[in-house]
Amino acid sequence: MDRSDVGALVQSAIDGDAAAWKALVEGLSPLVWSVARAHRLSDADAHEVYQTVWFRFAQHLGRIREPQKAGSWLASTARHESLKVIKGLRRLTPTDDPQLLDRVSEDRTPEQSLLDAEEAAAESERIRHLWQEFEELGDRCRQLLRVLMASPPPSYQEVSAALGIAVGSIGPLRQRCLRRLRARLEARGAE
Amino acid sequence: MDDLSATGGGEPFDAQEPALGLLDGELREAASVLDPVPTALEQLAVEAFALHDLDARIAELTFDSVVDAIPVRGAVDVPRMLTFHADGLTVDVELTGHGLLGQVLPPQTAAIEVLSGPRAGSALTTDALGRFASEEPPSGPFALRLRTGGGVLVTDWLTA
Repeated sequence: MDRSDVGALVQSAIDGDAAAWKALVEGLSPLVWSVARAHRLSDADAHEVYQTVWFRFAQHLGRIREPQKAGSWLASTARHESLKVIKGLRRLTPTDDPQLLDRVSEDRTPEQSLLDAEEAAAESERIRHLWQEFEELGDRCRQLLRVLMASPPPSYQEVSAALGIAVGSIGPLRQRCLRRLRARLEARGAE
Repeated sequence: MDDLSATGGGEPFDAQEPALGLLDGELREAASVLDPVPTALEQLAVEAFALHDLDARIAELTFDSVVDAIPVRGAVDVPRMLTFHADGLTVDVELTGHGLLGQVLPPQTAAIEVLSGPRAGSALTTDALGRFASEEPPSGPFALRLRTGGGVLVTDWLTA
Protein backbone atom coordinates (compact mmCIF):
# COMPACT_ATOMS: atom_id res chain seq x y z
CA MET A 1 0.00 0.00 0.00
CA ASP A 2 1.26 3.42 -0.97
CA ARG A 3 0.38 6.29 1.35
CA SER A 4 -1.12 8.15 -1.60
CA ASP A 5 -3.68 5.31 -2.01
CA VAL A 6 -5.09 5.68 1.51
CA GLY A 7 -7.91 8.08 0.59
CA ALA A 8 -9.12 5.91 -2.29
CA LEU A 9 -8.88 2.73 -0.20
CA VAL A 10 -10.96 4.30 2.59
CA GLN A 11 -13.57 5.33 0.02
CA SER A 12 -13.69 1.80 -1.44
CA ALA A 13 -13.99 0.32 2.04
CA ILE A 14 -16.91 2.66 2.80
CA ASP A 15 -18.54 1.32 -0.35
CA GLY A 16 -18.18 -2.20 1.00
CA ASP A 17 -14.92 -3.38 -0.59
CA ALA A 18 -13.42 -5.86 1.89
CA ALA A 19 -10.18 -6.11 -0.10
CA ALA A 20 -9.63 -2.36 0.26
CA TRP A 21 -10.17 -2.70 4.01
CA LYS A 22 -7.65 -5.53 4.14
CA ALA A 23 -5.11 -3.41 2.27
CA LEU A 24 -5.63 -0.61 4.80
CA VAL A 25 -5.11 -3.01 7.69
CA GLU A 26 -1.95 -4.43 6.13
CA GLY A 27 -0.52 -1.02 5.33
CA LEU A 28 -1.38 0.77 8.57
CA SER A 29 -1.34 -2.01 11.16
CA PRO A 30 2.38 -1.67 11.89
CA LEU A 31 1.88 2.03 12.59
CA VAL A 32 -0.89 1.36 15.14
CA TRP A 33 1.17 -1.38 16.80
CA SER A 34 4.25 0.83 16.89
CA VAL A 35 2.36 3.63 18.60
CA ALA A 36 1.17 1.28 21.35
CA ARG A 37 4.71 -0.08 21.74
CA ALA A 38 6.20 3.40 21.70
CA HIS A 39 4.10 4.06 24.81
CA ARG A 40 5.68 1.00 26.43
CA LEU A 41 2.41 -0.85 26.75
CA SER A 42 2.62 -4.47 27.85
CA ASP A 43 1.65 -7.22 25.42
CA ALA A 44 -1.88 -7.46 26.82
CA ASP A 45 -2.46 -3.71 26.80
CA ALA A 46 -0.96 -3.23 23.35
CA HIS A 47 -3.24 -5.98 22.01
CA GLU A 48 -6.30 -4.27 23.48
CA VAL A 49 -5.40 -0.78 22.33
CA TYR A 50 -4.66 -2.09 18.84
CA GLN A 51 -8.09 -3.74 18.67
CA THR A 52 -9.97 -0.74 20.07
CA VAL A 53 -8.33 1.48 17.47
CA TRP A 54 -9.28 -0.76 14.55
CA PHE A 55 -12.80 -1.40 15.85
CA ARG A 56 -13.34 2.32 16.20
CA PHE A 57 -11.89 2.97 12.77
CA ALA A 58 -14.33 0.45 11.25
CA GLN A 59 -17.17 2.07 13.15
CA HIS A 60 -16.27 5.62 12.10
CA LEU A 61 -15.23 4.73 8.57
CA GLY A 62 -17.95 6.65 6.74
CA ARG A 63 -17.61 9.64 9.05
CA ILE A 64 -13.90 10.36 8.85
CA ARG A 65 -13.53 13.89 7.55
CA GLU A 66 -10.26 13.52 5.67
CA PRO A 67 -10.01 9.94 4.36
CA GLN A 68 -6.54 10.56 2.91
CA LYS A 69 -5.34 11.23 6.47
CA ALA A 70 -6.65 7.96 7.87
CA GLY A 71 -3.09 7.10 8.97
CA SER A 72 -2.98 10.20 11.17
CA TRP A 73 -6.46 9.41 12.50
CA LEU A 74 -5.32 5.90 13.48
CA ALA A 75 -2.07 7.17 14.99
CA SER A 76 -3.82 9.82 17.03
CA THR A 77 -6.51 7.38 18.24
CA ALA A 78 -3.79 4.89 19.20
CA ARG A 79 -2.00 7.62 21.14
CA HIS A 80 -5.11 8.63 23.07
CA GLU A 81 -6.06 5.05 23.87
CA SER A 82 -2.50 4.28 24.98
CA LEU A 83 -2.42 7.32 27.26
CA LYS A 84 -5.80 6.35 28.72
CA VAL A 85 -4.60 2.85 29.49
CA ILE A 86 -1.50 4.28 31.14
CA LYS A 87 -3.61 6.74 33.12
CA GLY A 88 -6.04 4.07 34.19
CA LEU A 89 -3.03 2.08 35.44
CA ARG A 90 -5.07 -1.05 35.17
CA ARG A 91 -2.01 -3.18 34.87
CA LEU A 92 1.26 -2.07 36.31
CA THR A 93 3.39 -4.16 34.00
CA PRO A 94 5.14 -2.05 31.41
CA THR A 95 7.03 -3.90 28.74
CA ASP A 96 10.19 -5.26 30.20
CA ASP A 97 13.05 -5.04 27.77
CA PRO A 98 14.68 -8.37 28.61
CA GLN A 99 11.27 -10.04 28.35
CA LEU A 100 10.82 -8.73 24.86
CA LEU A 101 14.21 -10.08 23.93
CA ASP A 102 13.55 -13.45 25.55
CA ARG A 103 10.31 -13.84 23.73
CA VAL A 104 12.15 -13.94 20.45
CA SER A 105 13.27 -17.49 21.05
CA GLU A 106 9.82 -18.75 22.09
CA ASP A 107 7.60 -17.18 19.51
CA ARG A 108 9.16 -17.57 16.12
CA THR A 109 7.99 -15.83 13.03
CA PRO A 110 9.21 -17.17 9.68
CA GLU A 111 11.73 -14.32 9.64
CA GLN A 112 13.08 -15.41 12.99
CA SER A 113 13.41 -19.03 11.95
CA LEU A 114 15.34 -17.82 8.97
CA LEU A 115 17.52 -15.68 11.15
CA ASP A 116 18.17 -18.52 13.51
CA ALA A 117 19.58 -20.60 10.72
CA GLU A 118 23.24 -21.14 11.34
CA GLU A 119 24.56 -19.05 8.51
CA ALA A 120 22.48 -16.12 9.76
CA ALA A 121 23.47 -16.37 13.41
CA ALA A 122 25.82 -13.44 13.19
CA GLU A 123 23.13 -11.30 11.61
CA SER A 124 20.70 -12.26 14.34
CA GLU A 125 23.25 -11.31 16.95
CA ARG A 126 23.79 -7.94 15.31
CA ILE A 127 20.04 -7.20 15.28
CA ARG A 128 19.72 -8.16 18.95
CA HIS A 129 22.54 -5.83 19.88
CA LEU A 130 20.99 -3.04 17.88
CA TRP A 131 17.65 -3.63 19.63
CA GLN A 132 19.25 -3.70 23.05
CA GLU A 133 20.97 -0.37 22.47
CA PHE A 134 17.76 1.06 21.06
CA GLU A 135 15.81 -0.03 24.16
CA GLU A 136 18.32 1.71 26.37
CA LEU A 137 18.00 5.07 24.66
CA GLY A 138 16.22 7.83 26.58
CA ASP A 139 12.43 7.73 26.56
CA ARG A 140 12.02 10.48 24.02
CA CYS A 141 14.35 8.92 21.45
CA ARG A 142 13.07 5.44 22.08
CA GLN A 143 9.50 6.58 21.56
CA LEU A 144 10.21 8.54 18.39
CA LEU A 145 12.31 5.82 16.78
CA ARG A 146 9.80 3.10 17.69
CA VAL A 147 7.09 4.90 15.71
CA LEU A 148 9.42 5.74 12.83
CA MET A 149 10.53 2.14 12.40
CA ALA A 150 7.02 0.96 11.48
CA SER A 151 7.03 -0.74 8.12
CA PRO A 152 5.93 0.72 5.70
CA PRO A 153 7.47 3.88 7.18
CA PRO A 154 4.98 6.46 8.47
CA SER A 155 4.77 10.03 7.22
CA TYR A 156 5.81 12.85 9.55
CA GLN A 157 2.12 13.86 9.76
CA GLU A 158 1.37 10.43 11.17
CA VAL A 159 4.34 10.54 13.56
CA SER A 160 3.16 13.94 14.73
CA ALA A 161 -0.34 12.55 15.41
CA ALA A 162 1.16 9.49 17.12
CA LEU A 163 3.29 11.41 19.58
CA GLY A 164 1.79 14.86 19.80
CA ILE A 165 4.95 16.60 18.58
CA ALA A 166 5.28 19.22 15.84
CA VAL A 167 5.99 17.94 12.33
CA GLY A 168 8.92 20.36 12.00
CA SER A 169 10.72 18.96 15.02
CA ILE A 170 10.62 15.33 13.90
CA GLY A 171 13.43 15.46 11.31
CA PRO A 172 16.03 17.08 13.57
CA LEU A 173 15.03 14.91 16.55
CA ARG A 174 15.24 11.79 14.45
CA GLN A 175 18.75 12.63 13.31
CA ARG A 176 19.85 13.36 16.84
CA CYS A 177 18.39 10.11 18.16
CA LEU A 178 19.98 8.07 15.38
CA ARG A 179 23.33 9.71 16.06
CA ARG A 180 22.97 8.84 19.70
CA LEU A 181 22.15 5.25 18.85
CA ARG A 182 25.11 5.04 16.49
CA ALA A 183 27.40 6.34 19.23
CA ARG A 184 26.12 3.65 21.61
CA LEU A 185 26.72 0.97 18.99
CA GLU A 186 30.22 2.26 18.33
CA ALA A 187 31.01 2.33 22.04
CA ARG A 188 29.77 -1.23 22.33
CA GLY A 189 31.89 -2.31 19.36
CA ALA A 190 34.97 -0.72 20.92
CA GLU A 191 34.60 -2.60 24.21
CA MET B 1 17.11 7.19 0.56
CA ASP B 2 15.23 6.18 -2.53
CA ASP B 3 13.87 3.06 -0.90
CA LEU B 4 12.16 5.13 1.78
CA SER B 5 10.67 7.80 -0.41
CA ALA B 6 9.44 5.20 -2.88
CA THR B 7 6.97 3.94 -0.29
CA GLY B 8 5.39 7.37 -0.20
CA GLY B 9 5.43 7.41 3.61
CA GLY B 10 9.02 7.69 4.72
CA GLU B 11 10.65 11.05 4.84
CA PRO B 12 14.02 11.51 3.16
CA PHE B 13 17.20 12.04 5.14
CA ASP B 14 19.79 14.69 4.95
CA ALA B 15 22.04 13.55 2.11
CA GLN B 16 25.05 14.51 4.21
CA GLU B 17 24.60 11.62 6.59
CA PRO B 18 23.77 8.53 4.57
CA ALA B 19 24.99 6.35 7.44
CA LEU B 20 22.01 7.47 9.52
CA GLY B 21 19.65 6.38 6.78
CA LEU B 22 21.31 2.99 6.86
CA LEU B 23 20.88 2.71 10.60
CA ASP B 24 17.24 3.70 10.22
CA GLY B 25 16.73 0.85 7.76
CA GLU B 26 18.38 -1.59 10.15
CA LEU B 27 16.07 -0.49 12.95
CA ARG B 28 13.05 -1.08 10.72
CA GLU B 29 14.35 -4.54 9.96
CA ALA B 30 14.95 -5.23 13.66
CA ALA B 31 11.41 -4.14 14.56
CA SER B 32 9.87 -6.40 11.93
CA VAL B 33 11.85 -9.34 13.29
CA LEU B 34 11.74 -8.68 17.05
CA ASP B 35 8.42 -6.88 17.56
CA PRO B 36 6.11 -7.43 14.57
CA VAL B 37 2.32 -7.05 14.67
CA PRO B 38 1.10 -10.43 15.97
CA THR B 39 -0.53 -12.27 13.06
CA ALA B 40 -3.70 -13.22 14.98
CA LEU B 41 -4.15 -9.60 16.00
CA GLU B 42 -3.91 -8.36 12.43
CA GLN B 43 -6.50 -10.96 11.47
CA LEU B 44 -8.88 -9.45 14.06
CA ALA B 45 -8.42 -6.04 12.45
CA VAL B 46 -9.27 -7.56 9.06
CA GLU B 47 -12.43 -9.11 10.56
CA ALA B 48 -13.35 -5.77 12.13
CA PHE B 49 -14.68 -4.72 8.74
CA ALA B 50 -17.91 -6.39 9.89
CA LEU B 51 -18.29 -3.57 12.43
CA HIS B 52 -18.69 -1.08 9.61
CA ASP B 53 -22.40 -0.32 9.91
CA LEU B 54 -23.75 2.72 8.14
CA ASP B 55 -27.25 2.27 9.58
CA ALA B 56 -26.29 2.48 13.23
CA ARG B 57 -25.90 5.86 14.84
CA ILE B 58 -22.81 6.39 16.98
CA ALA B 59 -23.22 7.43 20.59
CA GLU B 60 -20.12 9.47 21.28
CA LEU B 61 -18.17 9.26 24.49
CA THR B 62 -18.64 12.61 26.24
CA PHE B 63 -17.37 11.74 29.72
CA ASP B 64 -14.80 9.23 30.89
CA SER B 65 -13.75 9.37 34.53
CA VAL B 66 -10.27 8.11 33.60
CA VAL B 67 -9.55 11.42 31.90
CA ASP B 68 -12.31 13.79 33.00
CA ALA B 69 -12.55 13.16 36.74
CA ILE B 70 -10.24 14.24 39.52
CA PRO B 71 -8.97 11.12 41.25
CA VAL B 72 -9.79 10.65 44.91
CA ARG B 73 -6.61 10.31 46.91
CA GLY B 74 -6.13 6.83 48.26
CA ALA B 75 -9.30 5.45 46.72
CA VAL B 76 -8.94 1.97 45.28
CA ASP B 77 -11.14 0.06 42.87
CA VAL B 78 -13.01 3.24 41.90
CA PRO B 79 -15.71 2.53 39.33
CA ARG B 80 -15.10 3.92 35.88
CA MET B 81 -17.93 6.23 34.83
CA LEU B 82 -18.72 6.69 31.17
CA THR B 83 -21.32 8.79 29.41
CA PHE B 84 -22.30 8.48 25.76
CA HIS B 85 -24.54 10.84 23.81
CA ALA B 86 -26.46 10.60 20.56
CA ASP B 87 -29.35 12.75 19.36
CA GLY B 88 -30.98 13.48 22.67
CA LEU B 89 -30.25 10.03 24.09
CA THR B 90 -27.81 9.50 26.92
CA VAL B 91 -26.25 6.24 28.04
CA ASP B 92 -24.56 6.22 31.43
CA VAL B 93 -22.30 3.30 32.25
CA GLU B 94 -20.44 2.33 35.38
CA LEU B 95 -17.70 -0.29 35.22
CA THR B 96 -16.37 -2.01 38.31
CA GLY B 97 -14.40 -5.15 38.95
CA HIS B 98 -17.73 -6.88 39.58
CA GLY B 99 -19.65 -5.91 36.50
CA LEU B 100 -21.35 -3.28 34.46
CA LEU B 101 -24.30 -1.07 35.39
CA GLY B 102 -26.02 1.39 33.14
CA GLN B 103 -29.03 3.43 32.28
CA VAL B 104 -30.55 4.76 29.09
CA LEU B 105 -31.96 8.27 29.43
CA PRO B 106 -34.63 9.43 28.94
CA PRO B 107 -35.81 6.16 30.52
CA GLN B 108 -36.92 3.61 27.94
CA THR B 109 -36.59 -0.06 27.24
CA ALA B 110 -33.83 -1.20 24.93
CA ALA B 111 -32.22 -4.45 23.87
CA ILE B 112 -28.51 -4.16 24.55
CA GLU B 113 -25.59 -6.16 23.26
CA VAL B 114 -22.20 -5.92 24.96
CA LEU B 115 -19.70 -6.18 22.12
CA SER B 116 -16.10 -7.23 22.56
CA GLY B 117 -15.17 -7.61 18.92
CA PRO B 118 -16.57 -8.30 15.46
CA ARG B 119 -18.39 -11.42 16.66
CA ALA B 120 -21.76 -11.44 18.46
CA GLY B 121 -21.71 -10.12 22.00
CA SER B 122 -23.73 -10.97 25.10
CA ALA B 123 -27.31 -9.74 25.32
CA LEU B 124 -28.91 -7.63 28.05
CA THR B 125 -32.28 -5.95 28.37
CA THR B 126 -33.24 -2.86 30.30
CA ASP B 127 -36.04 -2.52 32.80
CA ALA B 128 -38.79 0.05 32.27
CA LEU B 129 -36.51 2.78 33.65
CA GLY B 130 -33.83 2.03 31.09
CA ARG B 131 -31.51 0.41 33.62
CA PHE B 132 -29.33 -2.56 32.73
CA ALA B 133 -26.72 -4.65 34.48
CA SER B 134 -24.24 -7.39 33.78
CA GLU B 135 -22.23 -9.36 36.28
CA GLU B 136 -19.44 -9.85 33.79
CA PRO B 137 -17.18 -6.81 33.70
CA PRO B 138 -16.00 -6.15 30.15
CA SER B 139 -12.27 -6.53 29.72
CA GLY B 140 -10.39 -5.26 26.73
CA PRO B 141 -12.13 -3.53 23.86
CA PHE B 142 -15.86 -3.09 24.29
CA ALA B 143 -18.86 -1.21 22.94
CA LEU B 144 -22.61 -1.35 23.52
CA ARG B 145 -25.12 -1.81 20.75
CA LEU B 146 -28.59 -0.59 21.73
CA ARG B 147 -31.78 -1.29 19.90
CA THR B 148 -34.40 1.24 20.99
CA GLY B 149 -37.72 2.28 19.52
CA GLY B 150 -35.80 4.94 17.63
CA GLY B 151 -33.34 2.61 15.89
CA VAL B 152 -29.90 1.14 16.46
CA LEU B 153 -27.19 2.95 18.35
CA VAL B 154 -23.60 1.86 18.96
CA THR B 155 -21.33 3.50 21.52
CA ASP B 156 -17.77 4.49 20.72
CA TRP B 157 -15.33 1.64 21.22
CA LEU B 158 -13.25 1.80 24.37
CA THR B 159 -10.61 -0.24 26.15
CA ALA B 160 -12.10 -1.41 29.44
